[in-house]
Amino acid sequence: MNKNARNVLGRIFFWFLYALIVVWMLFPFYWAVNSSMKTEAQLQMTPATFVPRDPQTNDIAVTLQNYGAVFRNESFVRGLVNSVIVAVSVTVLALMIGAFAAFALGKLRFRGKTPSLYLILAMTMFPQVAVLSGLYALITFLGISARPSMIVTYMLFTLPFTVWVLTSFFRGLPLEIMQSAEVDGATPFQTFYMILLPLTMPALVTTGLLAFIAAWNEYLFALTFTSIEPEARTVPVAIALFTGEIARQEPFGEIMAAGIVVSIPLVILVLIFQQRIISGLTAGAVKG
Amino acid sequence: MAKKKSGLSDLAKREERLAYWLLVPTFFIIVVIAFYPLGSVFYNSFTNKIFASATPTEVVGLDNYRQLLSVTIKELPPVIDESTGQPAIDPETGEIQYERAINVLPREPNRYREVTQFSLFGNQYVLGATDRDFVRAVWDTVVFTVVTVVLELVLGMGIALVINGFPARSVARAAIMAVMLVPWAIPTAVSSRMWQWMFGPTRTGFFNVVFQYLGIGNGQIPFLTDERFQLPAMIVIDVWKTTPFMALLLLAGLGLISKDIYEAANVDGASKIRQFVSMTLPLIRPTLAVALIFRTLDALRVFDVFQIVLAQSRYSMASYTYYQLIGARAMGYSSASSVVIFLLIFVFAVGYIRLLGVESE
Repeated sequence: MNKNARNVLGRIFFWFLYALIVVWMLFPFYWAVNSSMKTEAQLQMTPATFVPRDPQTNDIAVTLQNYGAVFRNESFVRGLVNSVIVAVSVTVLALMIGAFAAFALGKLRFRGKTPSLYLILAMTMFPQVAVLSGLYALITFLGISARPSMIVTYMLFTLPFTVWVLTSFFRGLPLEIMQSAEVDGATPFQTFYMILLPLTMPALVTTGLLAFIAAWNEYLFALTFTSIEPEARTVPVAIALFTGEIARQEPFGEIMAAGIVVSIPLVILVLIFQQRIISGLTAGAVKG
Repeated sequence: MAKKKSGLSDLAKREERLAYWLLVPTFFIIVVIAFYPLGSVFYNSFTNKIFASATPTEVVGLDNYRQLLSVTIKELPPVIDESTGQPAIDPETGEIQYERAINVLPREPNRYREVTQFSLFGNQYVLGATDRDFVRAVWDTVVFTVVTVVLELVLGMGIALVINGFPARSVARAAIMAVMLVPWAIPTAVSSRMWQWMFGPTRTGFFNVVFQYLGIGNGQIPFLTDERFQLPAMIVIDVWKTTPFMALLLLAGLGLISKDIYEAANVDGASKIRQFVSMTLPLIRPTLAVALIFRTLDALRVFDVFQIVLAQSRYSMASYTYYQLIGARAMGYSSASSVVIFLLIFVFAVGYIRLLGVESE
């Protein structure tokens, strides 16, 4: 009986911690949703209400005007378009180039393999800010506009990671596949793109997702490179510099609405590809 | 026989050539976007280059570094009251009055400004720096890094243990994993804005409402403008954003531990705490080390949250570098500050590789 009671208490405590974690993780998101559905007057109510309420009657009063305003906001909509262009291009480019390199590093024999691996591992930790002024000077010197600049420079943090994860995946594929293809007369490159690449699909999806999310969220380079070209701003920059249609000062209702709009694609991706994202995130660290 | 041998080495040669061709794009990109700019940053850090300006660039040697990093500590003598010959006492606070820092700190060749004052063994000292903002940024970034990483490690471990208590394929576990990916996935720009709103200086902000409800403060706590609260606020935001990542890493590490040893320990009657300390911790040590260093390197280059929430009222090393480049157009100076960050991170990264080693086969 005593042991039983202790077990029950233990279960309750466990679920309490569980609930606490969920609330902690989701509350800021909830607060943003809550605020995004308030009018300017409701946002100024003190104390702030946990659901949108009418200032006079205190009834629940939800509005979607902030979402309307956000989609009428030209710089935000342009930001969405820019973000899609940049993030998709970065993902495709990183996967293509990364898969080439990973195939070589994972399956081919050549001199200089170990140093190459060391270099790429080191690159995964390369701080963006260290090359900020150098890249900025290079880009302005060559006169490259902001969007292609972002696409190419985002390789700095997507490519090494992609190569690293894909290499370990290629390494795990049985050598016999390659050998039997060679026996059938396939060149190594044919073996690569006709046989190995389809097999790596799961790893490509994982690394592609991570590259997409990283590119979608990037802020430092986007902010710096678009400083003289505001029409190329991506969504994070647009949100950081948001000026509103309704409120004069900091239009937090609209900012929250914009934040929710930007986060929703990511949340959906995360919900669908949960397992893959987690395995990709932890791949580098746990296998080490 | 001889023919076959040369045929094999031919194949090996072809394979090698293919490997090099496949690696060309990757290395080309690394050279163009990492090595070349890094080299130019190193070079520029020794010049007084101003971006988009007509003034000719000169090589100034280590001047930028001297300006960034010079610090000095001077003792502040007490003010002597002329009439009594004793140290003067502030009539309001009842404390000894000290000489003003500005009179003590050196002015030539570069002017030192006060960073902070402290007392040690009854003497008052002032810490001066030629670039007060940078020295503060370094200090703040290091404090931020240490506190966030420790908190994230402890909380991440706790969360990982809670989740690990659920069976691998249970709905509860899948649900909480999805929930944890939300803070990780949303852009830092968005989360910074969300928290900025929650930290609002009036009772329109969530925290002021809660704190007042708890009887702390008057509902007007300026979390983001008061120096005392700025850094803790940054830490709270970052811990929320990155603890999930830490927890996921540690959870993966926990997953590698065989369940059998716990059953054996249960049979032997070892307590849960004992099991954690003498079995779980040592077994998860490699993962713990990787997670720790990953996060440390990441925290040292923190930019988004500082730039968005605090702008120029308080800097991280990275946001200071950004403002020197884009705000002041001081390319040479900003490059020097980049180099300082790079070297700091490099030291940690070397430690990381040393600790782990790289398996090439």
